[in-house]
Amino acid sequence: MISPSACAAMLALVAGTAAGAPFVPRDDSAVLAEVTPGTRHSELAARQRAAQRLDVALPLAQLYIKQARNTGDLRFLGYAEAVLDPWIGPDTQSADALVLHATVLQSRHDFSGALAVLERARALRPNDAQAWLTSATVLRVLGEYEKSLAACKSIGDAVVVELCEQGVRGLRGELTSAYAAIQQIDSQEMPPLERAWRDSELGEMAVRLGRDGEAEHWFQNGLRASPGDFYIRAAYADLLLRNGRAREVLVLLKGQESLEPLLLRIAIAQKAMRDPALEHSSARLAAAFAAEAQRGDGVHRREEARFLLEIRGDPQAALGAALENWKVQREADDVLVLMRAAQAAGVPQAAQPAVAFVREHGVEDVRMAGLMGARS
Amino acid sequence: MRAAAIVCLLLTATAHAHIASNGFLAVKVEGARLSGSIELAMRDAELAVGLDSNRDGAITWGELRSHQRDLELYVRSRLALGDGTHRCSEEFSSVEVNERVDGNYVWLPFTADCGRSRLSRVVVDYRLLQGIDPSHRGLLSITAWGGTQTGVLNGQGEQSIALEHPSAWRAFTEYLQTGIWHIWSGIDHLLFLLSLLLPAVLRRRHRHWEAVPLAAPAFVNILKVVTAFTIAHSLTLSLAAFEVVRLPSRLTESVIAASIVIAALNNIFPKVTEGRWRIAFAFGLLHGFGFASVLADMGLPPGARVISLLSFNLGVEVGQLAVVVAVMPMAYAIRATTFYRQTVMRWGSSAIATLALVWLVQRAVG
Repeated sequence: MISPSACAAMLALVAGTAAGAPFVPRDDSAVLAEVTPGTRHSELAARQRAAQRLDVALPLAQLYIKQARNTGDLRFLGYAEAVLDPWIGPDTQSADALVLHATVLQSRHDFSGALAVLERARALRPNDAQAWLTSATVLRVLGEYEKSLAACKSIGDAVVVELCEQGVRGLRGELTSAYAAIQQIDSQEMPPLERAWRDSELGEMAVRLGRDGEAEHWFQNGLRASPGDFYIRAAYADLLLRNGRAREVLVLLKGQESLEPLLLRIAIAQKAMRDPALEHSSARLAAAFAAEAQRGDGVHRREEARFLLEIRGDPQAALGAALENWKVQREADDVLVLMRAAQAAGVPQAAQPAVAFVREHGVEDVRMAGLMGARS
Repeated sequence: MRAAAIVCLLLTATAHAHIASNGFLAVKVEGARLSGSIELAMRDAELAVGLDSNRDGAITWGELRSHQRDLELYVRSRLALGDGTHRCSEEFSSVEVNERVDGNYVWLPFTADCGRSRLSRVVVDYRLLQGIDPSHRGLLSITAWGGTQTGVLNGQGEQSIALEHPSAWRAFTEYLQTGIWHIWSGIDHLLFLLSLLLPAVLRRRHRHWEAVPLAAPAFVNILKVVTAFTIAHSLTLSLAAFEVVRLPSRLTESVIAASIVIAALNNIFPKVTEGRWRIAFAFGLLHGFGFASVLADMGLPPGARVISLLSFNLGVEVGQLAVVVAVMPMAYAIRATTFYRQTVMRWGSSAIATLALVWLVQRAVG
C-alpha cells in the first residue's frame, strides 16, 4: 500500500527536493515492517561473541551473505562486513574470513578490492577452491577472460571447473560448443543451486544464440530449482520483454518491487502496456538511483542507464551512465546498454570501447548484430 | 555440500542487489536554529534499539510509538550537530512514518538550538548504525537561504559543511516572500495601521465623526499615514539589521502592543484628530525594531545583506499595501453609514484596544 503522500514525497525527491511527506498510520496495529531473521536487536549479542571467536564469526558471516543472496538485500552484506571486520586485519591467519570479505566486496561491485583480498587469501591457502572460483567470477565480469579461465582450472571440483570454464569459453568465440558442452553435464546429481547455475548459463547462451524458445525452457528450469534466484528472473523478464510479452513480466515479477533490477523490468513492462502505475514505479526507481548517486556508489548503474534510456527517454544521460558502468563491468548486458544508448543519442562511435571489446574477444550475441553494424 | 556452498558464492557475484542502508538527515538552517528530521529504515531502527517488543516478527505503529524515547536517546548519543564551536541542543517531536523505495522509514523530526549567532557552517558527527552496519551512510541535505546542499555522512568523525551563499536573485525572492508573510501573519502591525486608517475616511466635526465629502482628502490621509509608517519602520529596521541600534525584544514588543492600544483608543476618545501620521511615524519607529527581530532570527545571508534587507522591507510594504487596497475602498464606500461611524469606529476600535491590552500585559510580564 502506497499512500498518495508517500508518492508525492518520492516525486518531490525526483524533482530535487529532499523533503519527505511522512504520515501517521491510522491505528496502532498497522504493520510497518517485517523483521527478518538475522536483523533483530537481540541478535546483536551473537555478533559480540563473533568478535571474540572466529568459529562463530565465519558461519555468521556466511549466513548473512546467504541472506543477501536470497533476499537481494545489500544490508546483509554490511552485517557480514561488521562480523568479519575484526578478522581481516593485516596479520590475519584466516583465509576463510578473507574469502568471505572478498565476496562482500564483489557483491558491492568493488571488483579490484575483491581481487586484492582474494590474493591475500591464496597467500595463506594456495589451493582454496572458493578463492579461485570467486576470482574466476570477478575476472569474468571484468572481461578478463584468459585470467578467468586460468582461475577456473584451479578450482578442483571437476563439475564446477567444467561449468566455470565453459561459461567463459561461451563468451569468447566458442558459444555453440560451450552450449553443447554444458548440456552434456549430468544434472541429475546436482544440488539445486548448482543446477540453477547450470540452467542460467544455458539460458543466457541460448539467448545469445537467438534461441529464445530454448532459453525460456532453461530459465523456467532454473527458477524451479531455485525460485529465489532473481538473476534468472531478470534475464527471463528481459526475454519476455523482447518478445512483446509485457503482461507476463508483471506476473513473473509480482511482489519483487523492492529489488531495483526487477522493479526496472516491471516499469519497462508497464510502459509497454501504458499502465498508469508506471509513474509510481518510475518515481521509486529515480529516488533509489538518486540515493545511490548521493552515496557515491554505482551498484546499479547498468540499471540506471536502462532506466534513463527506456523509461525516461533521455539517451544523452543514459549514455553517460552506460559509459560510467562500462568502467566497472563488462558483461553482455553492459555491452548492450552502452551500444543502445550511443545509438539512441546519435553518437554510435561513443560505444567504440564496447565494440572493440566484442571484436577482440569474439563475443557472439544476436542482440548485438544490428548495433555492431551501426558503428561509424 | 561443498559444491553447493561454492555455487552459492558464485551466484552472489552475479546476483543483483537491493538498496544499501541509508539514513536521511534533512536540516533547514534558520539563523541560529536548525529544524529537520532524521530518517532510519524500520529494520535499521529495529537493529539499533529493538522495536518488535512482542517478538512476533512484525513492527507495528503501536510498537514504534512506544519506542519514541529509545529512538531519541539513540539518536542523541550518535548524532551531534554544531556550528564548529558549540553543539546544538536538539528537541525531538513525535515519530511518523515515511515510505521510501525499500520500505517504511522511521521519521523523527527535531529542532535544534545552536547558540546566538547565525550559522555559517554546520558540523555533523553522524555515527548511527556504527558497529552494526559499516556500509550504512547518512545522506544529508541542508537547506539554507533557499538553496539545498547535499552530502554523505560516513560515520568517520565530524564533517563540516560550509553553507553556500545564495544568489542575489534567490535572496531577493526569499526575503520578499518572508516580508509579505511576516506582515500578514504578524497581525499586530496590521492592527496598528488599521486603527490609524479607520478614521481616514472621516473627519471630526462638533465632537462627532462625519464622512469626508470627497475621495481626495481621504486618499491624502491614507497616503500620509502609510508613508509615515513606512519611512519610520524602514529606518529603524535598517539600523537594527546592521546592528547599529539594538533594543531588548520585550521592550519593543510591549511598546508595539501599547501603540495599538493608543491608536485604537484615539478613535474612541479622539485626542489627535488631525495629523495622525505623526502617531504612525513615532510608533512606526518601534515597529521597525519588531520587523528586525524576524530578520535577526533568519539572519542576513553573507554576500547579499543589503539586497536581502531591501527585499524584506519591500515585502513588508507590498503586504501592507495589499491590505490597505483591499480594506480602504470598502471603508470609503460605507463611510457615511451609522454602522461605520458608530459601530466600526467605536466597537471595532474597542475590540482592537482590548486585544492589544492583553498582548501588552502578556509581553510586559513575560
